[in-house]
Amino acid sequence: MTRSVGTEGQTGGQPLGQQTEFLAEKMAEVRREISKAIVGQVEVVDGVLIALLAGGHVLLEGAPGLGKTMLVRTLAQAVALKYSRIQFTPDLMPADVIGTSVVQENGDGRKSLGFQPGPIFTNLLLADEINRATPKTQSALLEAMQEKQVTVAHTSHQLEEPFFVMATQNPLEMEGTYPLPEAQLDRFLFKLRVPYPGREDLHDILDRTTQGSPATVSPVVNGTQILEMRKVVRTVPVAPHVQEYVVKLTLATHPENRENLLASKYIRYGSSPRGAQTLILGGKVRALLDGRYNVSMEDIRALMLPALRHRIILNFEAQADGRTPDDLLEEIAGKICAK
Amino acid sequence: MLLREKINLVVPGKFSGRACFSALRAFWRRASDKIRTPSRKDQASLPRGFDQNTCSPELHGLIATLKTVRQRILANTLLRGWTKWSVWLLVGLVAVGAISAKLAGILLFIGILAAVGAAAILVWTWRNRLSNYQSARRLDSAAGLQDRISTAVYLGRLAHPEGMVREQRRDALAHLAKVDPRGFFPVRLPGNVRRASVLVLVVAGLFAYRIHHKPPLVSLLQTTARSQLVQSIFSPIVHAMEKDLQRTIALVTKKPDAAGEEIQRGDAASSSDDLWNASDDKGAGAEDKKDSADAGLGDQPQDELQAPGDQEGAPYGEARQQDSYSQSQEGKSGSDSADSKSQQQSEQQGPEGRQSLGQSLMQALKNMMSNSPNQQSNNRARQQPPNGQGTPQSGNSHQPGATESDKRGESRGSSDAKQKATQTASEGAGSQQGSKELRKDQETHPVNAVPDRVALEASGFKEQTRMKIAPETGVAQLGVREVSPQQDAVINGAEQENILARYRFYVQRYFEHADNGKH
Repeated sequence: MTRSVGTEGQTGGQPLGQQTEFLAEKMAEVRREISKAIVGQVEVVDGVLIALLAGGHVLLEGAPGLGKTMLVRTLAQAVALKYSRIQFTPDLMPADVIGTSVVQENGDGRKSLGFQPGPIFTNLLLADEINRATPKTQSALLEAMQEKQVTVAHTSHQLEEPFFVMATQNPLEMEGTYPLPEAQLDRFLFKLRVPYPGREDLHDILDRTTQGSPATVSPVVNGTQILEMRKVVRTVPVAPHVQEYVVKLTLATHPENRENLLASKYIRYGSSPRGAQTLILGGKVRALLDGRYNVSMEDIRALMLPALRHRIILNFEAQADGRTPDDLLEEIAGKICAK
Repeated sequence: MLLREKINLVVPGKFSGRACFSALRAFWRRASDKIRTPSRKDQASLPRGFDQNTCSPELHGLIATLKTVRQRILANTLLRGWTKWSVWLLVGLVAVGAISAKLAGILLFIGILAAVGAAAILVWTWRNRLSNYQSARRLDSAAGLQDRISTAVYLGRLAHPEGMVREQRRDALAHLAKVDPRGFFPVRLPGNVRRASVLVLVVAGLFAYRIHHKPPLVSLLQTTARSQLVQSIFSPIVHAMEKDLQRTIALVTKKPDAAGEEIQRGDAASSSDDLWNASDDKGAGAEDKKDSADAGLGDQPQDELQAPGDQEGAPYGEARQQDSYSQSQEGKSGSDSADSKSQQQSEQQGPEGRQSLGQSLMQALKNMMSNSPNQQSNNRARQQPPNGQGTPQSGNSHQPGATESDKRGESRGSSDAKQKATQTASEGAGSQQGSKELRKDQETHPVNAVPDRVALEASGFKEQTRMKIAPETGVAQLGVREVSPQQDAVINGAEQENILARYRFYVQRYFEHADNGKH
């Protein structure tokens, strides 16, 4: 009946209790460092940190000028990871992302084909305006995001861990863009919406960016520590009723589920099992960041929208009725809670 | 598999009561194991079987706290169920006390019902009591512990946990120490206890009242029935009903002549504007004389129906009254009225009215049974169509004394046949006339009291030329040549009378009769 949770005991050299405390402290420091450059956007920052510790990737969606690229750059500085930025354009080719074989000349003058790694060989990759590249180039990221490797000329090249992709896209300009395919979207752990700042936040932004020099962000955690934290995260236990709630929530997004009339009416394709995995893993990270050692229902509810909103595809009727994935998910979750 | 084979499997070679018992027990265990095998969904709810697992000594305090929570939830559930049951019982007691005159048996029954219901609620609540895990979930949500306690209970069977489980357990116990579970789950009275207490007072007052008084609802109804308003509303209705009842009783019990007179008076009083009754009464004397004279010459059924009365020596006045009475009931259909009036005739023609109603009915039925073969044979003989232009209509097939109608061309449309049937049947029923009598009516009494009985002369129609039209589906044609005054429409070979022309002719005949009657 019980699963093998929590039997690992310790990860790394420290006791688990200290590791969890370390994790919470370090993430708090990262938040503080990020907040030096980014004003507000607390939920977005938390989502990015949760995805970083859960081992997933993040798709940031927001209007231009809201600090998406700034957030990624600041995070890269705070976590002391190798950082690359690819500006996705319509003429970008897959080889420009993953690398290619080029003729190289040795010291003795002999020539041979050698692999020249692309910008994807990094720890933190910023795929800026990812929807401006063609689907062919977008698909170059598929293997890298899921398998953490790229294959060029029948040779697979492992990517360095931690590998964390943060992509941005602009929801306003649709001309000359290529919407991400479903397979690509499903590989993002979270899709975070970057909101407009409020009044106080806007004052802060103006004060910081128009006076003096920009803030300097110092690194507080490295890649190795992040990998240790990822191991700790996976030991957090989940109670059966919480897991049952996740399963119900995932299945409720399927239009084949006749019990849920809402899904059968408005949803064309429901969430994949990756959605359920995301909820559990994200819940574990959130619990640890909150100082808990178990996943609660509140964690699942809090992560439902970023984890599932890009995994459900609405049908024409939903678009005609002006329904959005967010309000449908809220409604579905409300019905499950009512049961 | 048979029980014997099962027993042989469990205890080979023996078939005794003990072996049978052990086989049944083994079967029950297997069945219950199958039922108890938890699915993933059941595991999420963790039924009470989970509580039987040994848990870590660290969690004994937590389990004790959860027991307290569970007892309080159970107490609240029981109180709620009992109160609801009590409310329904009290409502029943109020109803019984307000209506029933005898209370002892009902009170005993309600007492038993209360005890059985309370026991059933107790058993049901106990069977559906929460498990420790479910209690922990309730406590988590009530105290805002974010599933700490339920996760600790779920992982509780690990005696010496390490790593994250140990941290989680410590965290849960630390947070549990900060909250007061009793404060989150107080034993409180249910919301409907006020309603129940009000009902208790009502029941107490009602039964105190009932010690010396009748049921209040019955008394209220009696008082209301005696009130002037109700009497003013219901007295006309009651009066009319009483009058009808008296007439019925008089019809059944009194002498036939007296009953007939009374009915005549009643009819005259109730429907003074019925001109047809008046005209019937006027012509009744002469008509009935002829009726009685023609009775022997009429149809055989009529003769036989009248035979008992004649044999008993019924006075002439009685027959007259019967005719007048039967004419007053002319709204009824022909055949029904013929039967009923033959029954009444047989009743009234009993030995000085002393014959019972049952005997009269039996006599009438016997007469009908004996007449039916003759009547059918007569009808069969009459059903030969005079010409091939139409088929015999059902309305003509059972007409006593319909010889004249045979001459009038039965093969016309069904409406004509129906009118003839009405005419002849009502005549046969009301005045017991035969075919000759009908002819005399037309000669001597041109005014018929009933509009339906106005003889629709159609002798001229028989000779009218009909168009030869090939029966073609969907084609309707009207005869425009040599068709006067009636026009026939033929649809698919079936003849349809022109109703408007017939109605015009009917009205014309009616006023002719009316003028003749006045003069």
